Amino acid sequence: MSTQTDATGVHPAAILGSAAGDALAGWSPFARRPGDPFDDLHAQLLPEIERIIAQYEEKRSGLIPLAHLFQDHEGYVSPNALAAIAYHVGETLASVESTISFYTLLFRKPVGKYVIQICRNLSCMLNGADEIMAYAREGLGIAHFETTADGLISYEEVECLAACDRAPCAQVNLEFVYDLTRESVDAMIVAIRAGTYEVKPLVQTAKPGRTWKVEADTGRKSAGALNQSNPNNAGGIGDTSGVQMFDLIVGKVQYESRSNERLVRETQLRPEISGNGHH
Amino acid sequence: MSTTLITPVLTKGIGELNLREIAVYREQGGYEQLRRAVVELSPKDVADICNGSNLRGRGGAGFPTGRKWSFLPKDATTRYMVCNCDEAEPGTFKDRMLLEETPHQIIEGILIGAYAIGCDHAYIYIRGEFKRGYEIMRDAVAQARAAGFLGENIFGTGKKLEFTIHRGAGAYICGEETGLLNSLEGKRGEPRLKPPFPAIKGLYGEPTVVNNVETLAYLPSIMKNGPEWFAKVGPERSPGYKVVSISGHVAKPGNYEVPLGTTIRQLIYDCAGGLRPGRSFMGVQPGGGSSACLFEEHLDVSYDFDSVTKAGSMLGSGAMVVFDDTTDFVKASYALIRFFSHESCGQCTPCREGGYWIQKTLERILAGGGVDSDVDVIKSAAHQLTGLNLCALGDSIEPFLASVIARYEDQFRAYIKPGAAAVGVS
Repeated sequence: MSTQTDATGVHPAAILGSAAGDALAGWSPFARRPGDPFDDLHAQLLPEIERIIAQYEEKRSGLIPLAHLFQDHEGYVSPNALAAIAYHVGETLASVESTISFYTLLFRKPVGKYVIQICRNLSCMLNGADEIMAYAREGLGIAHFETTADGLISYEEVECLAACDRAPCAQVNLEFVYDLTRESVDAMIVAIRAGTYEVKPLVQTAKPGRTWKVEADTGRKSAGALNQSNPNNAGGIGDTSGVQMFDLIVGKVQYESRSNERLVRETQLRPEISGNGHH
Repeated sequence: MSTTLITPVLTKGIGELNLREIAVYREQGGYEQLRRAVVELSPKDVADICNGSNLRGRGGAGFPTGRKWSFLPKDATTRYMVCNCDEAEPGTFKDRMLLEETPHQIIEGILIGAYAIGCDHAYIYIRGEFKRGYEIMRDAVAQARAAGFLGENIFGTGKKLEFTIHRGAGAYICGEETGLLNSLEGKRGEPRLKPPFPAIKGLYGEPTVVNNVETLAYLPSIMKNGPEWFAKVGPERSPGYKVVSISGHVAKPGNYEVPLGTTIRQLIYDCAGGLRPGRSFMGVQPGGGSSACLFEEHLDVSYDFDSVTKAGSMLGSGAMVVFDDTTDFVKASYALIRFFSHESCGQCTPCREGGYWIQKTLERILAGGGVDSDVDVIKSAAHQLTGLNLCALGDSIEPFLASVIARYEDQFRAYIKPGAAAVGVS
C-alpha cells in the first residue's frame, strides 16, 4: 500500500500537475500540511499498519486495531490519526469518527499520562467502591472524566472490569489494581506523582484539557427538554418536558400519569392541535 | 469445607503450572486432541462428539453448542468461527482467568471447533480492557504458529487454519454476538436484527458460529475423555462442568469449577466459604447482572441451566453475586441500571430511553427526592421496555429490579418521604 495516493488511488500531485508535484512529494494525502510530524509517525508505523490490515479478510476490520495503534503512539486518536485510519480502511472520515466514538477506551482528546479507572459496578460497590471513588476524587482533586491541571492523571469511573473476586478493583493504564483501600489509593497517587509508579506512563503528545469527553458524552438531554427542567425531566419516555410543552400550547391539562399512552390519548383528543406544530 | 465439589477440568493446573508456555501445556496432553481431530477424524466426527456431550453455551444463553453448529448451511463454502472473549457481564470473571492462565487450551478449543464446522479462519474477540490477556494470547498464538498448529499447513496435513486475535475497545454490547460481529467488521458494536442469525449471515455476511471462551475451552477435554464423560455429569439436559464466578459478600470470592447440578447453597457455603462472620443471607444473583435475584427459599436449587430458569432466574454466564444483610438493594439496583443505561448502544428507543429514565428516577430516590409513585413507575417502565429491543440488553433491565422490589420494596420506600408528590406536575 502506498501513501502516495488518496482514497481513490490518485495522488493529489497528479491532479494539480507536475509543478505542484515537487511540493507535494512525500505528503501523505491525509496529513494536514507538508512536513507535519504525523507523516514521520505514519511512515514509521506503515509496516505495522499493513500487517494489521492483512490479518483480516476485509480491511475495514482493521479500524479499531489501527485506532489502538495510533493511540499507543499519540496518547489519543488524533484528527490526523482519524484521517489516516479512514484512508487505510477505505472509509469516510465521518464513518471512522462515528465508530471510534462508540468505544470508551478510544480517546478522541488527549488524556493524562496515567488513566485511573475505578470499577463502580455491583460487586465492587458491595465492597466499598463508592467510598473508594469519593476518596480518590478528593485525593486527585478532580471528578469523573476529568484530568488534573498538570496533565498527569485522568480519572474515570467504569463498569465491571471482571475482577470481582478482588473488589474493589481498578485499572491504571489498563493494568489491574486489586483490593483497593484508602491506603493503597494514597500510595498509588503519591507514586504516580513521584514518578515511581510501577505502571509505565502513556505517551502524551498534546496537553489534555479538563475532560477528554466531548460534551454530548458527559450528560445527555433529550430533544425538547425545556429550560425550566425539574426532577421529572428525566428524558425520553419519562420526560415531562413534552407534557409541559403541551401545557404551554393548549393550556393546563391535568395529568395523573406520565405514561406515553396518556400523552397519545390527550393528543388524539385534540387533532387540530397535533396536526400543526403551533397554535 | 467440602473439596469434592470442586472439579478442575479447565482450571486444572492453574496456580501450579505456567500453562502460558506451550511446552508446559503439551506436557499435560495439550494440542493432542487438536492433532487427533485434524489428522484422524472428519469434521463430522468432531461435531458428533460435541453433540454427544450435550455441551451448552457457557456465555449466557446456554444454547446447545452442537445444535448451533448444525444451523450452518451445508453448502456454504466460507464459514467463520468466532470466539467471544468480550466478557463484561457484571460479576463474571471466568473468561479473563482462562485467557490469562490457560490461553493454549482456548486456542486448541477454538481450532477444534473451527475444524468441526469446516472453517479455515478463526477469530477471537478479546475485550479491550483485557490488555494483559491480549498480550498473553498474542504470545500463545505465536508459539502455536511456530509449532505448526495453526497457519498454512497444520500438522503437515496441508490444511489451512488461520487465526486472528481482535482486541475490542470498551463496549459491553460487543459481547452480544451480532454486536461483536459488527465490531469485528470495524463498525459500531450495534446488534443486528435477527433473523438472519449469524449461522446464516454472520461475519462479512458469511455463515458464522460465535461461541464463548469457556464453551470452546471444554472441547479438548470432551475430545479426550469422550462425550459420555461430560454428558453423564449433572442433569441430563444440562450436563457437564462449569466455572462459576462467585463474588459480593462471601468470605472467599473466586472462580470455582463444579459439576452442574451442585446446589446454590453448596456453591456459596462450601466453595466460597459462606458469608462473612456475623452476617446473614439476603439474596443471590445467580447468573450475572442480567439475572433476577434469588432468595433464601432458592438456596437448594440445583445450579444448572433449566433449574435456575425454573426458579425464576437464569444461569447466564455463571456469575453469582451474593448479598448479605448489609445490602442496600436500592443502591445495588442503581449500580446495575446505571450500567445497562451506560452500555445501551442506543439503537432501540425502549432500551436507550427506558434504562436512562429508570436510572434518573433511582437517582432521585437515592437523593431523597423520590415520590410515592416512583417505585411503581420504575417497575412499570422496566416491564414495558422488555421484549421491544433488538437484543437482550434492554430486557436485562427488568429481572433484577423487579425481583428485589418484589422482595424488599420497603428498602425503596424507606428512601421516600411519605406523601411526597412529583414537583412540577399538578
